[in-house]
Amino acid sequence: MKEITFKNKSSTLIYRDYLNRLKKNLKHSSAKDRKNILMEFNSHIFEGIQRYEHTGVNETENLMEVLNKLGDPQDVLKPMIAEKKLEEATRTFNPIHVFKALVLNITNGVKYIFFAFLYLVLIGFLFVIGAKISNPKEVGLYFKDGGFYLLGKMKPQLMESINAKEVLGNWFIPFFLLLTILLYIIVTFLMRITARRK
Amino acid sequence: MNKSFVLRWQSQVKKGTLTFIVLNILDKKGELYGYELIENVKDKTSIIIAEGTLYPLMNRLKKEKLVTSKWVEQESGIPRKYYSLTTTGQNTLLEMKDFWKMLEKSINTISK
Repeated sequence: MKEITFKNKSSTLIYRDYLNRLKKNLKHSSAKDRKNILMEFNSHIFEGIQRYEHTGVNETENLMEVLNKLGDPQDVLKPMIAEKKLEEATRTFNPIHVFKALVLNITNGVKYIFFAFLYLVLIGFLFVIGAKISNPKEVGLYFKDGGFYLLGKMKPQLMESINAKEVLGNWFIPFFLLLTILLYIIVTFLMRITARRK
Repeated sequence: MNKSFVLRWQSQVKKGTLTFIVLNILDKKGELYGYELIENVKDKTSIIIAEGTLYPLMNRLKKEKLVTSKWVEQESGIPRKYYSLTTTGQNTLLEMKDFWKMLEKSINTISK
């Protein structure tokens, strides 16, 4: 990208600082998006300066006025970045992208709080699998009188004394693994659908 | 009068109609680059926006295939990005205008 040249050194510094703030806010965007947005803002700054140059106004003041009207990079870019991240996350199914998208969008509405909660449940399932691996004798899904009683840890003696039953046995890990995957796909699909509708 | 309520309401209305305004301007002028588009918005309406917010909006309209854009090289070496309506954009705008007329009519009737 061709940078704008200024006569005045402080103008150059202010301009560079603005570009750097843009770049900082664009670091999670793709190289192509980053280049496009930078070029467009650069063009805007150039055009803005041109408009007032002939009036004999001070170069630095002119630049500052243009940047001021353009707005703070973080405020201006946030909605665009949050949306892009969400689109990317739901397209790739990458958990790290999904997590970043949720963090960026959490202030954008109740539905993202709901999604974040579902992901928390998902992490809970993974935790349960980990617990089963480290303590296979006591961790399980317990039923009592034909209904759900406890998902967690129970001493075998207690289980017998209250007449509860562990129902999954060796299927415990495959079952929760499958549940985790299923929930993950469902939640990500839901996010994709609601993101498109916006 | 509750002044701050009116101001908040005005800003909501302006925000909500910005897309409609932008599409109308592009329809009239054919092809505009970002800065020109903002100048037009400011000229034709009394809307004061953080100018930068127009770019995320354009990005969204592009994604919805209502506008297209192309970079045009300039003598200065700093190219301009020109926006114009697509056919989908033109047809969408027609629908929006219809809705606007309907709304105008009903508001005129009830606020008489």
